Amino acid sequence: MNTPLLEVRDLRKQFKDFVAVDGVSFTVPAGGSLAVVGESGSGKTTCARIVTGLEKATSGTVLLDGAATLDRRRRASFVQMVFQDPYLSLDRRQTVSDCLGEVLAHHDREMDRRSRAARIDELLDLVGLDRKLGESLPRHLSGGQRQRVAIARALAPNPKLLVLDEAVAALDVSIQAQILNLLVDARAATGVAYLFITHDLSVVRHVCEDVVVMCRGKVVESGLVAEVLEAPAAAYTQRLVASVPRPGWVPSRAVSRG
Amino acid sequence: MTAPLLEFDGLRVSLGERPILRDVTLSVHAGEAVGLVGESGSGKSMTVKSVVRLLPGGSTVDGSVRFGGIDVGSLGPADLRRFRSRDVAMVFQDPRATVNPVRTIGDFLTEVLRDQGVGRAEATRRAAGSLAEVGVDDVRRRLSQRPYELSGGLLQRVVIAAALLTEPKLILADEPTTALDVTTQEEVVAILNEQRRQRSAALLFITHDLELAAAVCDRIAVMYAGEIVEILPADRLHDDARHPYTKALLGSRPGTVPPGERLRTVPGTPQSALTAPAGCVFADRCPVVESACRDLHPPMLSVGSGFAACHLLSEEVR
Repeated sequence: MNTPLLEVRDLRKQFKDFVAVDGVSFTVPAGGSLAVVGESGSGKTTCARIVTGLEKATSGTVLLDGAATLDRRRRASFVQMVFQDPYLSLDRRQTVSDCLGEVLAHHDREMDRRSRAARIDELLDLVGLDRKLGESLPRHLSGGQRQRVAIARALAPNPKLLVLDEAVAALDVSIQAQILNLLVDARAATGVAYLFITHDLSVVRHVCEDVVVMCRGKVVESGLVAEVLEAPAAAYTQRLVASVPRPGWVPSRAVSRG
Repeated sequence: MTAPLLEFDGLRVSLGERPILRDVTLSVHAGEAVGLVGESGSGKSMTVKSVVRLLPGGSTVDGSVRFGGIDVGSLGPADLRRFRSRDVAMVFQDPRATVNPVRTIGDFLTEVLRDQGVGRAEATRRAAGSLAEVGVDDVRRRLSQRPYELSGGLLQRVVIAAALLTEPKLILADEPTTALDVTTQEEVVAILNEQRRQRSAALLFITHDLELAAAVCDRIAVMYAGEIVEILPADRLHDDARHPYTKALLGSRPGTVPPGERLRTVPGTPQSALTAPAGCVFADRCPVVESACRDLHPPMLSVGSGFAACHLLSEEVR
């Protein structure tokens, strides 16, 4: 069996006396797509931040391509992150080209100016942005365009794994559809794997193969998306699936309250 | 047929030279729930705010909003205050922005009742009863707690309890569950629905989620760029939607196509009344646009079980 691209084993994170992540394990195969779903406070974002190195785990291991520790630069060329709000995640004084160029220069110091410019154009094409927008500042772009820039920036160092933390949650439905199509295309074109943090089960069905359901810091269920979401075994997953508005849905007051 | 409780008649709102609402005509009958659905900038919130005259300073209003036959725009200060406190109630997206953070839940709930001359003990008793009805447990303790001690879902229930306390005829709910988790959303929506039916209050429910609107409301009005482009019965949404924008919204949700297939997308970005074209507001993004669409403003046509404003439907209506 091949080494998984990402292996998280028995992860635990404690903030003072609050346990945010409690014994979480999951793996992402090379080129795979794993969704981590759960409600606010379930610890899914903390997991994502530990995987990308933005947060340190209290205990447990994160193996990237079988290796436990990478220095920051090597880690960053292996795993990149896209955040929820494209209005906060871009530097408002930096043009799109500079934003991408900075990342490229950081990861490949040998790269000359001409090949950098070519790579920027390539990235803009990949995320479906007009090359002319390279000279724009974030304030001239719409929310959907900004999220495309954020995705291009994350893909710039050719990472093996992209962590997407609620990356489509803040977008209008018609824009969300465009970005979801883009994510499917980008994965097909580059072979990048996704760790998709989300609360939206219909998004999971669309872009992911495997799913981990988290509740209060623990994994309550995991498996193939088709199996877990069609026939959920855990009571919590059943409640989660049942509470998604859909045709013929009648909202009801739950028996137990959290 | 009885006169509608709430009536928007050719409502236009602009801020200086910038249009915000271009033409909103809609009625809500007593006890009826109407969903206003659309993307950001479509004017849903402005439509609702115009009911209680909470529009931004310097905005000009044409057309009218009538509540129980009376033009809201003509109300004097005292009548407006009375109207806001007794006849309508509002529930906004973020409960933490609604509830005063330094006062107790009890203070928040009894404030309006005390203002209306209800005694302290009676107001507290009614507040406790209202909290229990929306499924808040341990009511006595909750009344003495402050907002930071409650979760978002619990606090939104407090806001709904407050909205119901004055027995309003109309509840305006602006994305009341957008900030909540899905399981909490289900509970909050169920409570809102149940209480509204018990008291036969009308509801104007804003959301960007078509499925949610269909589950909660009797009729759905779809807005785009400051106009209502389609109105139809909620249970006919999937079968009878005729306007290209409504169809695009329905088709762009993941889950409408089998996994792995491409989502049907609408090119471009959502527009506001300011950036939309002069003819049909959706002409710039419409997949089936024709030349007439750009120049002529389409009238609202009665099609099937609802109404839609689209030139392409005019031939089959005739």
